[in-house]
Amino acid sequence: MPDIEPFSPRGMFHEGWTAEVSDYAIACGWALKGKQFIVGDVAGGIFAFEGDTGKIIWKKENTHSGGLLAMAIHPEGEIFATSGQDGNVQICNCHEGKVIKTLDLGKGWVEHLKWSNDGLFLAIATSKKVYVFNEIGEEKWISEDHPSTVSAITWANKNELATACYGRVTFFDIVNNKTNQKLEWQGSLVSMELSPDGDIVACGSQDNSVHFWRRSTGMDAEMTGYPGKPSHLSFDDSGKLLATSGSERITVWSFVGNGPEGTMPGELCHHTEPISSLAFSNKGMLVASGSRDGSVVASFLKKDGNGDPVGAAFAGDLVGAISWRPDDCALAAVNAKGVVNVWKFKVRTNLFSKGFK
Amino acid sequence: MSIKDKVPVTILTGFLGSGKTTLLNRILSEEHGKRIAVIENEYGEVGIDQGLVINADEEVFEMSNGCICCTVRGDLIRVLGNLMKRRDKFDYVLVETTGLADPGPVAQTFFMDEEISSEFTLDGIVTLVDAAHIDQQLGRSDESSEQVAFADVLVLNKTDLVSDDALDTLESRLRDMNRMTRIIRAENAKVPIETVLNLSAFDLDQILKRRPTFLEPEYPFEWTGVYDLDPGKYELMLEEGPDPEMSLVALVNQGESEEELKDGAESSVRLYAENANTLEPGNTVPYGEHVNLKLENKGNKSFILNIEKPSKIGLFTQHTAEEFNMKVIKSDENKEIPFNTERFWQAEHEHDDEVGSIAIERFGDVDPEKLNTWMGRLLSEKGVDIFRTKGFISYSGNPRRIVFQGVHMLFTAQPDKEWGNEPRRNQLVFIGRNLNEKEMQEGFDKCLI
Repeated sequence: MPDIEPFSPRGMFHEGWTAEVSDYAIACGWALKGKQFIVGDVAGGIFAFEGDTGKIIWKKENTHSGGLLAMAIHPEGEIFATSGQDGNVQICNCHEGKVIKTLDLGKGWVEHLKWSNDGLFLAIATSKKVYVFNEIGEEKWISEDHPSTVSAITWANKNELATACYGRVTFFDIVNNKTNQKLEWQGSLVSMELSPDGDIVACGSQDNSVHFWRRSTGMDAEMTGYPGKPSHLSFDDSGKLLATSGSERITVWSFVGNGPEGTMPGELCHHTEPISSLAFSNKGMLVASGSRDGSVVASFLKKDGNGDPVGAAFAGDLVGAISWRPDDCALAAVNAKGVVNVWKFKVRTNLFSKGFK
Repeated sequence: MSIKDKVPVTILTGFLGSGKTTLLNRILSEEHGKRIAVIENEYGEVGIDQGLVINADEEVFEMSNGCICCTVRGDLIRVLGNLMKRRDKFDYVLVETTGLADPGPVAQTFFMDEEISSEFTLDGIVTLVDAAHIDQQLGRSDESSEQVAFADVLVLNKTDLVSDDALDTLESRLRDMNRMTRIIRAENAKVPIETVLNLSAFDLDQILKRRPTFLEPEYPFEWTGVYDLDPGKYELMLEEGPDPEMSLVALVNQGESEEELKDGAESSVRLYAENANTLEPGNTVPYGEHVNLKLENKGNKSFILNIEKPSKIGLFTQHTAEEFNMKVIKSDENKEIPFNTERFWQAEHEHDDEVGSIAIERFGDVDPEKLNTWMGRLLSEKGVDIFRTKGFISYSGNPRRIVFQGVHMLFTAQPDKEWGNEPRRNQLVFIGRNLNEKEMQEGFDKCLI
């Protein structure tokens, strides 16, 4: 249990609703344009709640024998995919939770799922292989074996998929079955994020550093000095700020001007225990962080990466995942005890945000 | 989170065919109360009979800095990272490595990765060796000697396939390589579960409470014979041998099982530490005392053993019985009584394995700064070759004993209990490859005040 005292929502966070799922909640996301909130627990329970009230719409348990590993909601919000230790991926309908298609990918754990931005493709990583399927579950592409287990996947653009593993990031053109680019670095890459334009690749490494590359210039840099491995990375929607964390502190690198090389990053120190989830709002320079201590904080950042907290709330236990509602007017946090919290987040107006400059 | 709340992890290593899966199944079938998760790296022929088994390929991740102590096992980080979310489903983790695994990165994973070390604690490394084949394996592969070197417990398995003499020789070879380890003999991996689980082998505080020294004794005697004797007078007869004298301890009611022999050996080690009474031929041998037999005269020399009631007598002798052609003779019948059981102990350092242990024991205090400099240099120069380090140190001016341990260059030290009236001393054990004992002892001596 966290050591900090429970507290009521502060600042821009306001009471919303709470609910419970059956086990440790590891994944969550908004569907149907924010009308529905879906939570997955580690045992394979999937729960859909009404976005405004928290009323349960449907639930199902034991979807993946051995447990759930990942969940991804389609950008249109009508369908979602889940994967687990059973080596399966299920594509389901959000309205009733019905399985549309089950994909059997073998024995390995299926740990990563990512829909492309236009929603045409679903990328799936299991052990050393990556698969791409379309919305109705037809196989479109399979990678060769990577040198080690794939640790992260993300879409660079429509047809281009990036994968990270021990020692390298690879870009694949999955329509023409081509390898576009390989970025090599001897280190175990544990996380990966791309800037929204796909140019900057940032990876957290097991050796407590963040490595990034600019694809257009081929330049790369290594940011060292993290107290722990930076498992959590998030770009803001403009691609100017990269929030990173491997401890209770959040380090924000600014890509404005010639940065971040040679610049001082912004530092946010609001939590007493390491960060367990990190996400920029869909629009704007608001970053929300959840910690093992159960606290959730939203910070408003300036271009240089520094900023101030604008709201905080207590989720009760280790924060398993957080998710901004598509309109950024609510933030959801799910925790290790299976508790779901959704707080209203007061709408930011242009007038209001000026107050922070 | 305190160490008590963390889930203990035992690592099982050993070459293919050494009996890891058999031991694993034994643990799973006998430990009904425990919910054990198994991470398996080897797809053995024998299946594992339990629900929570996870297969993962070994992935050794070296870091860009090239530092060997930063090398970790990516597969374990991934699997344990997921398991920690299912904590209520299990309370113990067993990791079975492949026969070729280097135990270093496995152990380091539990110290280097914050997420893992915050939820799990490395309980111990158990290495199985196949008594019939380990001799050849040690010569041929680095991995097998490293697995021996890293072990907290060595299970000398398949003893039924090898003679007792060969086992004794093998045990002393293994003991030379790793003087911190506990050696358990077994047939078909049949060992008491408590000898392999819940060892707290990396919790120095706990270990020192149970055993006041990290070192398994290097026995001051080479041989034990156990004789079944009826009441009467006996002669212990010796011929000329390699020395003009020999130390001996005779114990009454000496059992013959391996465990009883070790208990007897341990009592004898303590008795051997006391000054010996010299016995001339014709004198009576007392029980439970350290004596020194005078053997300068030519020909047979006899010492007297008096037995009042039927009893098993254990003779712990400095040299082997063979070297002096030692015999026990019943006086009135002039009949030789053969021993029931014999056991050879740690011989002199006659093996020259690359991998070995170095122990440094010194009374007095050390200068913390000098020690830091020396250890720092030693680990940076030889850290790749030093597999494990354990010890305790007396810092001058510090009322508490300092305990430390290391895996390669990873090193932790912490204050332990107060010295009180105990004489202040230092004990360091290094296990590694091609270590220079003399140089290291000299280096340490320079740190003494």
